[in-house]
Amino acid sequence: MDGLPILTLIVFSPLIGALALLLVPGHNHRAVRWVALAAALASLGFSLALLGYDPAGAEFQFREDLPWIEAFGMRYTLGVDGLSAVLVLLTTLLSVVAMFYSWDPIKTRVKEYYVTLLLLMVGMLGVFVSLDLFLFYVFWEISLIPMYLVIGIWGGPRRVYATVKFVIYTLVGSLLMLVAILAVAIAQAGAGNPFTFSYEVLRQFAYTDAIQAFGFIAFFLAFAIKVPMWPLHTWLPDAHVEAPTAGSILLAGVLLKLGGYGFLRFAIPLLPDAAVSFAPIIIGLAVIAILYGALVAMVQPDMKKLVAYSSVSHMGFVMLGAFVFNQQGLQGAAFTMISHGITTGALFLLVGIIYEQTHDRQIAHMGGLNARLPHFAAMFGLFTFASIGLPGLSGFVGEFLVILGAFAYNGYVAAATMLVVIASAVYMLWMFQRVFFTVPSDWMRQWWPALRDINRNEWIALSPLIVLVVALGVYPGPVLELLAAPVDRIIEAVNGAGLTAFGPWR
Amino acid sequence: MNYIDDLVTLLPELILAALVLVIIATDLFLSRPNKWILTPLTVGGLILAGAACVVVWDINETVYSGFYIVDDLSVFLKAATIVIGILSALFAPGYLAVRRIPLGEFNMILVTALIGMCVLASSSDLITLFLGLELMTMPSYLLTGLHKTDRYSNEGGLKYFLLGSFASAILLFGIAWVYGLTGTTNVAEIAAALTGQMSPALLVAIGFLTVGATFKIAAVPFHYWTPDAYQGAPTPITGFLSVGPKLGAFALLIRVFAEAFEPLRADWLAIFVVLTVLTMTLGNVVAMTQLNVKRMLAYSSIAHTGYIMVGIAAFANTSDPEVAAQGIESVLFYVLGYAVMNIAAFAVVGMLQRDTTRFGGLNSFAGLASRAPMRAAAMAILMLSLTGIPPTVGFFAKLYVLLAAVEAGLAWLAVIVVLNAALAAFYYLRVIVYMYMRDPEPDPAPLESSGFGSLALGLSVAGVLALGIFPGAILTLVEVSAASLF
Repeated sequence: MDGLPILTLIVFSPLIGALALLLVPGHNHRAVRWVALAAALASLGFSLALLGYDPAGAEFQFREDLPWIEAFGMRYTLGVDGLSAVLVLLTTLLSVVAMFYSWDPIKTRVKEYYVTLLLLMVGMLGVFVSLDLFLFYVFWEISLIPMYLVIGIWGGPRRVYATVKFVIYTLVGSLLMLVAILAVAIAQAGAGNPFTFSYEVLRQFAYTDAIQAFGFIAFFLAFAIKVPMWPLHTWLPDAHVEAPTAGSILLAGVLLKLGGYGFLRFAIPLLPDAAVSFAPIIIGLAVIAILYGALVAMVQPDMKKLVAYSSVSHMGFVMLGAFVFNQQGLQGAAFTMISHGITTGALFLLVGIIYEQTHDRQIAHMGGLNARLPHFAAMFGLFTFASIGLPGLSGFVGEFLVILGAFAYNGYVAAATMLVVIASAVYMLWMFQRVFFTVPSDWMRQWWPALRDINRNEWIALSPLIVLVVALGVYPGPVLELLAAPVDRIIEAVNGAGLTAFGPWR
Repeated sequence: MNYIDDLVTLLPELILAALVLVIIATDLFLSRPNKWILTPLTVGGLILAGAACVVVWDINETVYSGFYIVDDLSVFLKAATIVIGILSALFAPGYLAVRRIPLGEFNMILVTALIGMCVLASSSDLITLFLGLELMTMPSYLLTGLHKTDRYSNEGGLKYFLLGSFASAILLFGIAWVYGLTGTTNVAEIAAALTGQMSPALLVAIGFLTVGATFKIAAVPFHYWTPDAYQGAPTPITGFLSVGPKLGAFALLIRVFAEAFEPLRADWLAIFVVLTVLTMTLGNVVAMTQLNVKRMLAYSSIAHTGYIMVGIAAFANTSDPEVAAQGIESVLFYVLGYAVMNIAAFAVVGMLQRDTTRFGGLNSFAGLASRAPMRAAAMAILMLSLTGIPPTVGFFAKLYVLLAAVEAGLAWLAVIVVLNAALAAFYYLRVIVYMYMRDPEPDPAPLESSGFGSLALGLSVAGVLALGIFPGAILTLVEVSAASLF
């Protein structure tokens, strides 16, 4: 590490912003918003330095390493590889978008709101840059509580139910993961090595089958709940429906990625034998999630719930790609995470725009908005197509790669997922048609004169997403290049792995 | 053998004893408006006693013919005792004043109980141990019933006293059996006499001792006194009761089971593991159904007893001294961390009881965030700490216990602990739901605020966060302390 501790600056500028906010008088909403935005922008600015990541260089760059709790070998180790660098950028960008979007809609407890969002940023960013399993766990838990508050305080009518469900689900998984982390660290130390939680050390140790199996199950539960994977997804629709728009953007855009990232970074490389042996089961669940999410999304009457279920389906693609263990699949999985963060974040933002005006999201209540709100319709259309996976937009690249990877693994699996691409066109386009093209409902007519199109703030919030969704679709090369090395390492780790009890399965 | 020189090793206890006399004397001469002076006086005396702990640190000797041991373990527990005392003395005045409970009596009885805890921590003989135990619990009964005009306080005090006396008698009976079997009451000599063999008579002795000791730490199935005593006692005193006597009782457990009965640990392990699982599960399940925060915290303190017992179980389940030491270390760390967060949590409940007809129901927390943002934020941090969410001391304490358990080969017990922690999240977070996600009631409970209380709350929350992020300093102390057992 030389020069600025850039990762520390990225992770902790929001914290400094949150502390500074404590000094700002709460009734001065303007000052509160500017301070919060400045902190988030600072974090975004620092994260741009990660674009200087050198794909040909060392695995983890921008490293920082300080002793923390020496009695247990816990260290403050930060570092990014291509995968985490991209996700850090996604997080800082979406956080700024979410904060900018919240400018007008959030009118109650403004100061608390921005403090919470900034703390959420700290947790999310910390997860992506930690190279110490214990540090990772601490950030993982820190990211949980702010989202709990965001949904619970600023959410919809059934917010308390939704947020308690969210937090209990996630806690069960993450606490089990804590036991697994301890078990892994203790097993490594048991062989006479110094006690450490360092990811780079722990992944090189060959764990016994028992630890591989039980540890992986614990990691799996924690990450699969976060992703969320069928059948552990039931918290997600509730959380999304009740969350305020900015909460939904970050929940879908970043928090779900914590789960996917956990699999790629920790679960698979640490415990490759178990990962390989359990892969068929996980692929099965992923295919079910893809189908199930798409089918359930078709019949949702609520726009937000529809997008939430489509997330279940898209994150199923991520899981499928992650566990076929080939280059296309893994790159596709990582790329889908990023693309899904952008498109779904934008879709939630757009749904939020109409919800702010009418306080309703029922698809049946909409209709004909194309005539009244042309810009809104155009943008909604763009991200609808991105979500379906239209070539030329970002969604296509990830899904295509995943399906390619799935073909290499098993033709039937790939065929089943192909069908869902059609289904996703059905639910997204059908929603688009009902909202924008049919005759306006009687209910909508009462709002007709008051409706407004996308305003300046919303354009500013949307514009980076618009640029990215097109840019990544047309020219995904640079991102894929960043993802190549991490993906190769995962393939290397799982090559020839497998629990002896399960025997070779391929 | 120089009895006068040995007095130096008793410095903390002597200062506390002198403090009791000073409080009584000063109380006589203070007019009612000036009674508040007693609080800084008590706290000052306690700080002095804390400084004395530094003097006796690292002495490690047995004094008074083997009746008293001043090792680092005991000094750590004494320092923790004094922390508990300081926080209790700072939190109580506001609550007591509204109810016209005399402050002098409270401070005097409190410090007496602290002496008992110190003696208990330092006893190297079962006789001293019993003496310390009674010196701790007698004042505890008094404190529970201190609100003389309140029926619940009387009921709680009486229940605690009756059941506590039985438990003490049972424990004493166990001590008698041990004496009969080994011919000694000295802890070290008992351990030497008990190398290996197990007899039915010994089993009876262990049985009596276990019942007596688990009653004092409020482990299932000997917890029935806890909810009533805790709910009846004046709220800041409940905070003290939930951690003070518990710390003392864990000192007793360590002295009796981890020291005297150390050779037989494989035999008492099974009982302990069963009690541990029962204690945390029942405590959490029942706490989930409580709508009164005071009672909820009472049941949850049973659950925390269970978590701490995991450390003892880890000690007993391994033959590796390093791992065994980690079990004891986790107990020490947990007891200290739990003390700070739980006293403060009870204190917040007490602050909402300025109106003496309020009993600390969840409703009185509704909308607290908009009425008293600082105290709501403090309570939220305390609840997160009790749940075990980083970066708080509660998280690190739980982590320590889990680490000890996994390392000692009790991974399944660790899984039960974390599942219990998830259960606990439900009811702890419910307090946050009420504070932040509900509107205040039409007639919100008036808030009591005393300068001492706010100071102590600030200190506790700062401690909870500081020890959660940088536990290093305490970890070293805990390690050195536990090492004096091995």
